[in-house]
Formats: sequence, structure tokens, C-alpha cells
Amino acid sequence: MNVFLHRSITAGALAALLCAPAPVRGQTAADAPAYSPPRTPFGQPDLQGIWQALNTASWDIQDHHASLGVPAGRGVVDGNDIPYQPWALEKKRQNVANRAALDPDARCLLSGVPRITYMPYPFQIVQQADKVNILHEYNHTLRHIYMNGNPHPEGPIEWWMGDSRGTWEGNTLVVDTIHVTAETWFDKAGNFHSEALHVVERLTRTGPDHMLYEVTIEDPKVFTRPWKMSMPLYRRVEQEPELLEYECYAYLIEETWPNR
Amino acid sequence: MKSLISAVTAVAALSLLVPSGVAGQGFAQPGRPKGAGARTWRAERATLPPYSPPRLPDGRPNLQGRWGGSSSGDDIEETEQVDPTTPPWESWVSDPADGRIPYQRWAMAERKKHRAGLARGVTGETGERLFMDPQTFCMKSVPRYAQRGYELVQAPGYVVMMLNWGHFHRRIPLDDRPRPGASAQFWMGIARGRWDGDTLVVESTNFNGKMWLDSVGNFASEHVRVIERLRLVEANTLDYEVTIDDPTVFTQAWTLSYRLRRAGTGGGGGAATVNDPYAAESWEHACHEGNAHHVEGARDLGFKWFPGVTPPQR
Repeated sequence: MNVFLHRSITAGALAALLCAPAPVRGQTAADAPAYSPPRTPFGQPDLQGIWQALNTASWDIQDHHASLGVPAGRGVVDGNDIPYQPWALEKKRQNVANRAALDPDARCLLSGVPRITYMPYPFQIVQQADKVNILHEYNHTLRHIYMNGNPHPEGPIEWWMGDSRGTWEGNTLVVDTIHVTAETWFDKAGNFHSEALHVVERLTRTGPDHMLYEVTIEDPKVFTRPWKMSMPLYRRVEQEPELLEYECYAYLIEETWPNR
Repeated sequence: MKSLISAVTAVAALSLLVPSGVAGQGFAQPGRPKGAGARTWRAERATLPPYSPPRLPDGRPNLQGRWGGSSSGDDIEETEQVDPTTPPWESWVSDPADGRIPYQRWAMAERKKHRAGLARGVTGETGERLFMDPQTFCMKSVPRYAQRGYELVQAPGYVVMMLNWGHFHRRIPLDDRPRPGASAQFWMGIARGRWDGDTLVVESTNFNGKMWLDSVGNFASEHVRVIERLRLVEANTLDYEVTIDDPTVFTQAWTLSYRLRRAGTGGGGGAATVNDPYAAESWEHACHEGNAHHVEGARDLGFKWFPGVTPPQR
């Protein structure tokens, strides 16, 4: 079966959804003033540089008050509600109750998509003609978004960061991701998905130092309908910004070594 | 697909945990020809005609592409055998000429201690368990990152290296920007690059000293300065020389010499299969995620966490 064709159709349906008027909290591409980003030598919109989300989504993607070690924040989910199926809402509640033990981040596992983007660490985008690479400081995570004409490989595959294929829609990088494990979460608040997750990310530069990040989440096993997140990403404008490292599991293993 | 990939990862990790019971089963075969190391590569390199590399629009040599690995990652010195699965090999050390790492006396004692405590079937072990190669826990550093190969990209102002193994990456600014203070220490260090003619020179500092240089306990300290030199010597071959400079551990700076082959042209890592459109893609190698039971296993066997060495005060 042509997985990519199937997904393209789905993506098309989702694109229609994205264009529908909605009580959207975040900025959308339609709201953003037209900005023409510079181009790479191979003619693509240039998204390169070091970027970071500045919000509290990695703690909780929905509106939340503060608690010990958790800053309060407005959510990044359009309309704030996540359309869980009834059983899934109950599981989310259990995840919340046991989040200290269950959060995959507490074991320094790869964050999955889209959570890695709004982890509170910078990332660097490096473009090539046939793929976009995202190098994250967190856990030295490395994403390759292939634009080489290959469709998603045939599954079943369950990768922590999924399989990502990109296309350009005007100045927007559209990233289609499937083949994920069910073991990643969306945040520390127990919001979750299954291995049937399909993520469409849209990255649109809205200025020299800003980029709009929109995400559509589709998972028929967990949700009753697709839903969206959106948030700005900010360029790290320090004079000489540089990714350092956050070797999460190395620190965890060292800290917990019994005879250290 | 999933179970196959998991199984491959599990086997690879498990091989690091081979118990010492297999030691001494007569695998040493004196006179067996050794794998090609620094000596063989340097001799071959000397016979190569001068080569002018293809260039990027900025005039710099184009070193981009997927490069195969530098070596097995086992003992970087000359070996008769490391363990039952590892053939004899020439040293990767080209300077000093004897191929030996010029440890200071105390540091050699430390190295011997590491080796004696490996419990993996290497000659000279005591049978007691001390440290396990930190790579067992999915760590990398410089220059060992090159072991399984990587893709090199020349982005504006940067050279970027992207590994399949453990999804590590290096970002090497080419503008000689100030480094963080020495108290800021990193597994992969802090790298700065520059061009010396057609040679890319990368100088790395700010290491935490917690990674080994190979799987059998060779080490440097947090004070080490690593200077890598990469030069295209023919279309599909990178000359890769690494100088290890740490006056707190060694009696002199010393050099490793490797040859990296372009992936799919006879080097390690990522053979190009003509009919596989995905052959050039780097599919996920999630190391730590499947490694919890190996970490537990190492602890249960009594191995300690390698904390780095502390050179004596002078």
C-alpha cells in the first residue's frame, strides 16, 4: 500500500481543517504578517539557526496553575480542550496521578514528536537540499526530515521520534510524521497518544527572529477528532549562540549508580 | 521491522556484557595477520598522487557526505587479540612511532587497572570487575564518535556532523568564538574549527573526562585538548588525524591516524544498495531507550561508574 499517498490525502483533509475559522488562541499563519524569508543556496526558505520555544508546554500543554517546580502557563492547544475518547480521558487522569513515575522524561527517554520541539532547550536547524535536520540540545536528539522523494517506509515501525517526511507549501515547511511508539507523552501532565499517532507540523517564519510552529494531532485510537497546537518559536539572538549539551540519561545513570 | 531492529540492538548491547567465562579458550593465534591500522594507512597515503578536492562556492574543500567509521573502537594500540570476537590489529597510534600511548607512570598504572577490571575476556584481567566501557551506556566523545561513521554537512558558519549511532551530533563553529570557562565540562567537549589550507582543523576542549578513548580503558583527563585534522586525499577517502594533548596524563602529545571511506565505497557503515532508495537514510538508533536492563546488569555484576581520573598534583 502506498502509505505516503494515504497520508497525503489525510494531510489534505487536515489542511482543510486548519483553514477553518475557529476560536484559535495562538497566532496562526493566516494572522501573521506576510514575511518573505531569505532563501538557501538551493532555493528553499531558510529556516536555519538556533531556535527555542518559550512557554510551559513541556510541563502541560493545557492551561494550568503553578505547582512546585512547575510554572503556571496558558496552554498551546487550540480551544484548550483535548478531545479524548472516554477511556483515554480516564487513562490521562491516571497518568496525572502517577506522573512522577510514568513520565518518560523522568527516565530520560527520547521525547517524541512534537514534545521535543517545546522542551525548554534550544535546537538548531540545518538544511540540505534533500532533508531538513533538527539538532536538539536535549538528549542530543537528532531529527532528519527527509524530502528526497521517498514515501514513509512500510511499517509496522515504532520509532521514538517517528519517521518524518517534509514538503514545502510556499514558505512553510510541512512535516508529516508517523511510525511512532506509544511510549512518549505530549508533556509532563500525562497527555498521551497511541502508536497510531499522525503528526503534521507546520513551520513558518514570521520575521527575522520568529517562527510559527503549528501542529495537528490525529490519533483515532485515542481522540475523537484531530486537534491542534500552535506557538511561536524564538531565535536565540545572543551574539554567538551555541548548542551545548543536556545528556539526560548520563546524568541519571551516574546519579543513581549504587556505588558511585 | 520493529522486533528485528530491537533484536539487533539487544544483541549488539549484549555482546558488551559477555561474561569472563569465555576467557582463555585458545583464541590467541600468534602470527595471524593484523588488521590495517595507522602504519598501513600512512604507507598507503604516502603513495597517493596529489589531489585537489572539489570545492564549495566559498572556495573551501567539499568534505560533505556520509563517511564510514574509523575503526572497531576496540584497543587503539596494537593488539594480538582483545577478546574472542576481535581479530589482531595494528596500532592506530602513528606518533610516537612505536604505536604506544605515552602515558605518565601513574597514568599507565591507572590504565592497567582499567584493563584488569574489564571482565570481558581480555588478556591480563584479574577477574574482578571495575569499570565498564562508558559506551555501554550509550555515551560518546571525541574522537570516538567517528568510530561508526557520520554524515558531514558544511552549513553557513558551521561544520556539522550527524551520527546514526545514538543520534549524536557535533556542531563546529568556524569563527573561533570564545569557549565557555574551563569549569563548564561536556561529554562531547566544545569544538572550534578552522581551515588550514585544504585541511579542516577542529580543536576541542571542555571535556568532562568521563569517556574512554576505546573499549579497553585508554583515557585522557578533563584537561585534554583534542585536535582533529580532516583532509580529502582522494574522491572517497578522508585522511583523519587526531592529536591528543594532555600534559597531565601523557609525557607528550600523541597522534592517531585513520582513514575514513565514503559510505558505500568500501568503508564501514551504510553500504549503498543500488536498489534500496532508503540506503542513504539514517534510521533511528535509539540506544538508551532499550538499554535499561544492560545498565541494571552492569550494576548487578558489580561494575562501578567510571568517574574520570584525577591526575596527581604537581
